[in-house]
Order: sequence, then structure tokens, then C-alpha cells
Amino acid sequence: MQAIAISVQNLGISYRKRLSLRRSEPHVVLSDVSFDLLKGETLGIVGRNGAGKSTLLRILARILKPNKGEIAWQVQTVSLLSLNLGLDPNLSGVDNAILSGLLLGFNRKEAEQSLPEIIAFSELGEAAYEPVRTYSSGMNARLGFSIAINLQPDVLLIDEILGVGDAEFQKKSSEALQQKINSDQTVVLVSHNATQIEALCDRVVWIENGRLMAVGATGKVLEQYEKCILA
Amino acid sequence: MGWNHSILPGDVRVNPGPGKIFKCRSATIPARVRKARFSRMNKFWQLLFFKVKCRLKSEASTSYLNYGWWVVEPILHMAAFYFVFAVLMNGGTENFVVFLLCGLIPWLWFNKSVSNATASIRGGYSIMMQTRVPISLFPAEIVTQDLVKQLLVFVLLLLFLFLYGNTPTVHWLALAPLILVQLVLVLAVSFLVAMLEPFLPDLRYLVQTGLMLMMFGSGIFYSYDLILPEHRGMFFLNPMANLIKNYREVLMYQHWPDWVALANIFLFSIVVLGLCVLFLQKHRTTYARLVLET
Repeated sequence: MQAIAISVQNLGISYRKRLSLRRSEPHVVLSDVSFDLLKGETLGIVGRNGAGKSTLLRILARILKPNKGEIAWQVQTVSLLSLNLGLDPNLSGVDNAILSGLLLGFNRKEAEQSLPEIIAFSELGEAAYEPVRTYSSGMNARLGFSIAINLQPDVLLIDEILGVGDAEFQKKSSEALQQKINSDQTVVLVSHNATQIEALCDRVVWIENGRLMAVGATGKVLEQYEKCILA
Repeated sequence: MGWNHSILPGDVRVNPGPGKIFKCRSATIPARVRKARFSRMNKFWQLLFFKVKCRLKSEASTSYLNYGWWVVEPILHMAAFYFVFAVLMNGGTENFVVFLLCGLIPWLWFNKSVSNATASIRGGYSIMMQTRVPISLFPAEIVTQDLVKQLLVFVLLLLFLFLYGNTPTVHWLALAPLILVQLVLVLAVSFLVAMLEPFLPDLRYLVQTGLMLMMFGSGIFYSYDLILPEHRGMFFLNPMANLIKNYREVLMYQHWPDWVALANIFLFSIVVLGLCVLFLQKHRTTYARLVLET
């Protein structure tokens, strides 16, 4: 039996949708979701657009607070891995990399130390010193991924980050992520790509319209999920 | 690493009951926790200064004159006032341009920072949704960015005063504490409006109107002598009116400022600022939610 990293019980979150000055109605995003995230596992989250997957990640990252339910974190650091964190188009790739590092909670020294690695991994070369507005979208995505992959929190939350850049970089980023997963990193991965989930995840949580449909072994849950979306 | 150290080693976890989330309360503060807090503060300052540097760089890169605008813009302002009040209206009050600039320049600083900071937390939306960076960053970076440019404006003001025939005196040294007190006031008011705006988005309009009213009540275009003696107490309750009077005492009349008034403004502002920072710290998830909802 693996130790629990984060346990989620009967989680519910709703936003207030304001209709007029006095009236508002609740917009339920997630209700009654329960699952455990085990230490060292890779948990996939699947569901259609608007199912509440990103909101769930934000709650796990302690960015949002749920209205209902209980969450117990048995870990110290949880980080949401995101592309283009505060990227400023007028600044160089290097400045943006340092800024993103600081925003993610590194100190200045750590952020600067990871620079050579970021520049090498992103394959930007001299372009790293040019303003980001001159980058192609592929270069942009490569920079974002390279900054983000440097994080080493206890639990890594990943929201639709894969599939950026050209085919070659996609392979490279998948490998980098695979390496992280193999090194006993606890990962929660949101993706639309079923093949990716199948390749990377030990277990899968399926959410539909804010409700938990299934949680369990990857193959079994994905089979149910695919049957449902094709129907 | 990470901003996620809110569960620190040594913190006591208490379960407040079903339906609530685990909260951490420090019973005593062990050395390692103190160290972790210090490192968090340190990271915050590093982030703030680097972010401001980036903002200034980014802003400058969008114009041909780049950083030149920091000097050219205030010079154009001053030239316009000089032209109207010293050339066109020559013979009005003596030294009126100097009088006006000594009031207008501190006022424009206050006005600019407060209006820029009003929607700053909302402006940090995308960053707030991706990382647990302290919310104080958003108003703080606006005020710091404005401060850098403002310090240059003060240098230009001194230069103008000198060229206009005002010889520098030892009293000009009091400009440093005056600027410091105004900075703390600007921070306090900026944090306060930034903190309230997500709860009350309409505050943006009120802030603009409030600033306009305050401008007329700050004695920029007139001297406090014109206020009836029985109303002067009330007039000087406006901290900007008080500061502007003191700027003029120091720069124009070779007097020391009213230290007691400065100390009062400083202490009051520090308390307000401290309370705002604590509030923002305590309610960070509330802000993430509010900004998402409105």
C-alpha cells in the first residue's frame, strides 16, 4: 500500500455568477469529488472541455479554496506547471525565464542557475536574448516548457502542457516528462490526448460535468471514457 | 523552493472539523520556520525588484526614445506650465510657476500611483491563477515602478528651481524625509484601494472622482492662507494638503517641515499599509475566487 500524498473527500466548488446588482446564482463547477493521490504515482485526469479539470488542479495547488469537502495535503510543495507564466513579449527569453522562475517561487540565484539548462533544452540559442515577440509560436512553447520542467516540487500538476512545438520537440518534452515520472515524482496530468495518458499514467480520474464518473486503473477508465465520448 | 511552504515544518496542524480545510497554526516559532519565513520575504523582494525592472524595460522598449521619456515627459510638463504662467500670464503672483510645481509634482505622483494601483490585483489574474505568489506583489510593483520615475522628476524639479533663481539651502535636505513619508502614504492608499476593488469593481469610478475632489482640496493651485482659519484644521486632515504645504516650506521658504505632522502621516500610513498586507496575505484564495467571479 502506497502512502497518500493528497486525499480529496467530497470536494465541491461553485462560483457566484452575478446576474444583477443583488441577484446571483451559483455555478457549480465540481461536486462530490473524492479520490486519493498516492505518493510516486502518475494520476491522469480526463474529461471534456469545461468538465472542471483545470479548477480541480487549481484546488490541488491551493490556489482556489473549495466550498465543500475536505482536502488533506501530506506533502510540502505542490506546483502547477504552466506554460507562458507572465511572459512579456517585449522582454528577452532570458529575462522571461528568470521572471517565471521568481514567480514560481525560486530565488534569484536558483533562477539564474537554471538558465543554461533552460536555454539548452529549449534549443533557442542566441534567440534567447531576443525579445519574445520575435519568436514563432513553437519557440514560445519550447521556452515555456523548458522553464516549467525545471520545477521539482513534491507534487507536480500538469495542465495540457504536452504536444507543444514540432514533432521533434514533442518527443523531447515527452521524454523529459517520462524521466520525471520515473524518478518517483508524484504527478497529476490533465490531457485530452488518450494515448499520452495511457503511456504515462498509472491511474485515471474521469470527470464529467463536475461529477466524478470513474477512478481506477488507466486501461479500464479510459475504455469507459472513450465509449462515452464516442456515443 | 516554491511559494507552497505554507505548511512549514514545525507548524501545528489543526483540523477545524468536517467541511473545512486543514489550517496551520504556529504554536511557537522554531528557528527553521523563522528561516523559511525570512527566505520567503527575501524571495518576495527579489521578485518585486526584478519584476519592476522588467516592467520598466518592457515599457521603454515600446517607444523610440526609450528611457528618454522619463526625462522628456516631465520637462514638457514643466515647460507648458512655465509658458502659461510665467510667459502668457506674466505679472501674476510672483514665483507662481515655482509655487505651482511644488504642489503639482507631489500631487501627480500620488494621483498616478493610486489610479494605476486600483485594478492591479485584477490585472494579476493570469499569474494568480497559476502560482501562489503573494498578492501584495501586484499593487507593490505598480507603486515601485512609479517611484523610480518620480525620483527623476524630483531631481528635475530641483534643477528647475535652481535655474529659476532659487538658491539651494540646507532645508532642501528635508526633501528626503518628505519623499519617504509620501511614499508610505502612496503605498497605504494604493494598497487600500487595490484591496477593496475586487470586492467592489465599481470602486474604479469612485477612486477617480475621489482623486479629483482631493486634488481641489489639496491646495495645489492656491495657498492654505486662503482657507478660513477656522477650517484650516480640517483642510490639513487631508494628508496631501499637509505634505504639499511642507514641500513648499522646504523648497520655497527655507523652513524646516512640520515634523509632527510628517510623523503622524507616516505612522498612520504604516498602520494602514500593515493591515492591508496582512489582509491580502490571509485572504489570498478569496482574491483568486473574486477575480475569477467578476
